[in-house]
Amino acid sequence: MARIYQVPSHTRLWLTLAVTFCALPQLLKGPLWQGGLFALVVAIRALVNRQRMALPGRIIRSLLLMGAVALTFYSFGRLYGPEAGVALLVSLFGLKYLEVVSQRDAYVLLVLGFFVCATSLLFSQSPLMFLYVLLCMVLLTACLAGINHSDTRASGMQHLKRAGIIMAQAVPLMLILFVLVPRVAPLWNMQVGNGKARTGMTDSMAPGQISELSESSALAFRVAFDGDMPPPAERYWRGLTLSHFDGRAWQQAIPRGMDEAGYLYSGRGPAPDWVDALTAGRSDGTSYAYQVIVEPTQRRWLFAMPVPFVSEGGVSLARDMRLVANNPVSQRQSYQVVSVPAATRRLPLAAEEKALMLSIPDESGRRARGLAQQWRLESQSDAAVVQQALRYFRQQPFHYTLRPPKLVADPIDDFLFRSRKGFCEHYASSFTFLMRAAGIPARVVVGYQGGEQNSLGSHLLVRQYDAHAWSEVWLEGQGWVRVDPTGAVAPERVERGLRAALEEGDSGDALGGIQLDGFAGSGLLGVMREWADYVDFRWQTWVLSYDSQLQLSVLSKLLGQVTPLRVAVTLMVSVALLLGLYGLYLFWRNPVHSQSPMEKEFWRLHQRVQGCGLALSPGVTPSQLAEAIAGRWPRAASPARDWARYYQRALYDPRQKASKQQMRHLRGLRNRLYKLLD
Amino acid sequence: MQALDKALAQVGRVVLGKEEQLKLALTCMLANGHLLIEDLPGMGKTTLAHALARVFQLDYRRVQFTSDMLPADILGVSVFDPNTQQFSLREGPVFTQLLLADEINRATPKTQSALLEAMEERQVTLDGVTRPLPAPFFVVATQNPVDQAGTFVLPESQLDRFLMRISLGYPAPDVELELLAGGDLRQQVRELKAVINGEGLMKLAQVVGKIRVTRELLDYVQRLLDATRSDDRFVAGLSPRAGLGLLRAARAWALITGRDYVLPEDVQAVWASVAEHRLSARQGGSVAAISQSLLQSVPVVRR
Repeated sequence: MARIYQVPSHTRLWLTLAVTFCALPQLLKGPLWQGGLFALVVAIRALVNRQRMALPGRIIRSLLLMGAVALTFYSFGRLYGPEAGVALLVSLFGLKYLEVVSQRDAYVLLVLGFFVCATSLLFSQSPLMFLYVLLCMVLLTACLAGINHSDTRASGMQHLKRAGIIMAQAVPLMLILFVLVPRVAPLWNMQVGNGKARTGMTDSMAPGQISELSESSALAFRVAFDGDMPPPAERYWRGLTLSHFDGRAWQQAIPRGMDEAGYLYSGRGPAPDWVDALTAGRSDGTSYAYQVIVEPTQRRWLFAMPVPFVSEGGVSLARDMRLVANNPVSQRQSYQVVSVPAATRRLPLAAEEKALMLSIPDESGRRARGLAQQWRLESQSDAAVVQQALRYFRQQPFHYTLRPPKLVADPIDDFLFRSRKGFCEHYASSFTFLMRAAGIPARVVVGYQGGEQNSLGSHLLVRQYDAHAWSEVWLEGQGWVRVDPTGAVAPERVERGLRAALEEGDSGDALGGIQLDGFAGSGLLGVMREWADYVDFRWQTWVLSYDSQLQLSVLSKLLGQVTPLRVAVTLMVSVALLLGLYGLYLFWRNPVHSQSPMEKEFWRLHQRVQGCGLALSPGVTPSQLAEAIAGRWPRAASPARDWARYYQRALYDPRQKASKQQMRHLRGLRNRLYKLLD
Repeated sequence: MQALDKALAQVGRVVLGKEEQLKLALTCMLANGHLLIEDLPGMGKTTLAHALARVFQLDYRRVQFTSDMLPADILGVSVFDPNTQQFSLREGPVFTQLLLADEINRATPKTQSALLEAMEERQVTLDGVTRPLPAPFFVVATQNPVDQAGTFVLPESQLDRFLMRISLGYPAPDVELELLAGGDLRQQVRELKAVINGEGLMKLAQVVGKIRVTRELLDYVQRLLDATRSDDRFVAGLSPRAGLGLLRAARAWALITGRDYVLPEDVQAVWASVAEHRLSARQGGSVAAISQSLLQSVPVVRR
């Protein structure tokens, strides 16, 4: 049968679809000209397939190639790096499609297609993207099946069906390989950040910044607890501590005389004394173990409840009881934390740290200072001053609102004594200021508070609108104590979240006409949202966070002891088991009672003759086989006919009983025949 | 078996150069099946049918089908006889041993189905009285494949009643020369010598049922049937009835070839004429090409 070396017509549509689908993720986010280039290529291909025009010649193709390279350089400023590289790859992929004529070109294109698919996963690893890539792979496999189909009248759906079956058969194998094949840590850290500004925290806090965040329902991070979940009022996810106040905004600061090395402990090298102090408190009171899966922020800070202990590399502990990633979080990242709230009292307060925590600019908040000094004189202890301040917030007519009036002149005094309408950052800022003025070391903490629970996965979802700011004061013997002045004004905010707090207040006024989109709705939409989140979460915890470390623990649970030999043997045994099961299924589905020796006899000769270079279809009868041999090797004609005559009597004449003697005779004839074939 | 060879030789004298088709037609008769000949006019269909009737000493009638024909025109009709004061049946042309139904697709479906029912049941029921048809009973129907205007195409269920379909086709050039040089065909047919009679033919048909098959051969037939069913280029696969017909035809072929057991070659020889008219291909595929490709791809010996 003559082989068709051109791409058969029944595969052309699949080829177009496969190319388009593979390139689509890049086309959607890449520069506009790339979409144009692809549209042009697909249009030309369509016209060529309908024989309305000839394939563009070498000159046009070269021009297109140079144009694509130049435009890539123009759009990205370079030709390497993940974004530019992938864009260039996809353009070349399209241009390769333009010149596909023969089967060999199609092979190159399809292999390239698999690679292009893989690059889509560099930029997004969501379950949807995974499904999409799977679809692309089915299409590519359909093309592979199509270009290898010799029947020109084959139907296209047949290829798709076959590809689907092949992919489905590959899934169990994929799972085995996923679990067992050793993972190597990435050799390089590819920074695939889509540089766009995301909603999220910044490293300073000025009035109005957090209330902006509360308009976004974007996911900040998820938390999966291993054991008990803390009550809602305890769910304070610390992100940053802000210690320097310039009269308007709070900023991060490191105490004078401390360097970053002493302030951050990455787990390597000798532990500083403050780390030892915290570690000593690791078994104090209740602890919570949980996993945090944080969305990309492009920042280094991570979120956790106090006092966080981590065991994995890549995350450092800071002296202000925070977690800091060693590299900016440019992709979804997960880390395992054990939080021990009581360990905070072990932490000493150094003199230079204390100085920083008491500093306030000279000119701001003159009235507030007076108030603070007054409390100081009236109270016996620091704790009493704190209570005094909270009572002040509770008793004076303060309002919790998303749209506070603009503060003029001195923000602290103006808020405390005139407007008295504010969001959490106003309360945290002025409270911390008051504490510092009263001589109590204090700082502002920003992060998230609360989080809604997904009833399917029982994990917490913390969204941008859960962003919050509060204070911490240092009390002798208790260490850093969290004080949330917002809780004094609007307790519902802490207990039940932002929405409840705003609904509780004079609704329309508190919202200030702001559309709070994306609050988990009720009914079908809410259920769907919950499911989508659950799938995404499971995808993250089960698939994406399966790294070498997790693999090691899974394997040691499975195998007891992880040695290369054991892993290799397990891998081979499970693959063999799988293939065996599949074989068993095939056997069970069409019960082929095993071949009789007579039938084997025929196929031995059939195979031998084919091996000698004579093409035979499976549908030849014994005597047709003999005639074919006689035609090719005239010397062998008469033994071949003898064999056929004898064989067909043995197999088709019921009066001949298949005996051992017959078999021997046939084998003898066949061996004689073999000598005459070569 | 010499009788069969002689019969073939006799018919071969008037239908020239068509040994293969003659053998198939004979196979069809031995297998007790009806034959459909699809051909253009003037290809020798009538001559073939007539010659077969002569050689086997069968009653022969020919009916030209037209669109205004009624079932009664074929089956017969009850008429009142004033002398006996009773109804008596006037038998239609179907009461014969070999019926040539010319251009069967010109008749209305009603008339077609009357004939086809008679073919299947080998009896006719008129006015509540069932009368058996003579034995043996063969129908040779013809169909013009090209001129389809004003015809009623036989549906697949009806085509299934015919064991085989053959077409004669144009004669080879040298054969045609011989034909042109020869004398009056009608006269020649009349001069043909009878070889066996109807009873002898029926005895032979009984022998066909005793031709031996092995398990391996039945396996092959089943694989072929299965292949038509799993091949999605066909609208539907062959029915079990078609399978039984295939086996019967293969047995008859083996008998004509002079063997008392069936070889795969016998199945392959009758395959096209038994299978192809019962199959239809999807979207413009050629039934003949696909069914031949199945013969190529279905292993004769079990793998």
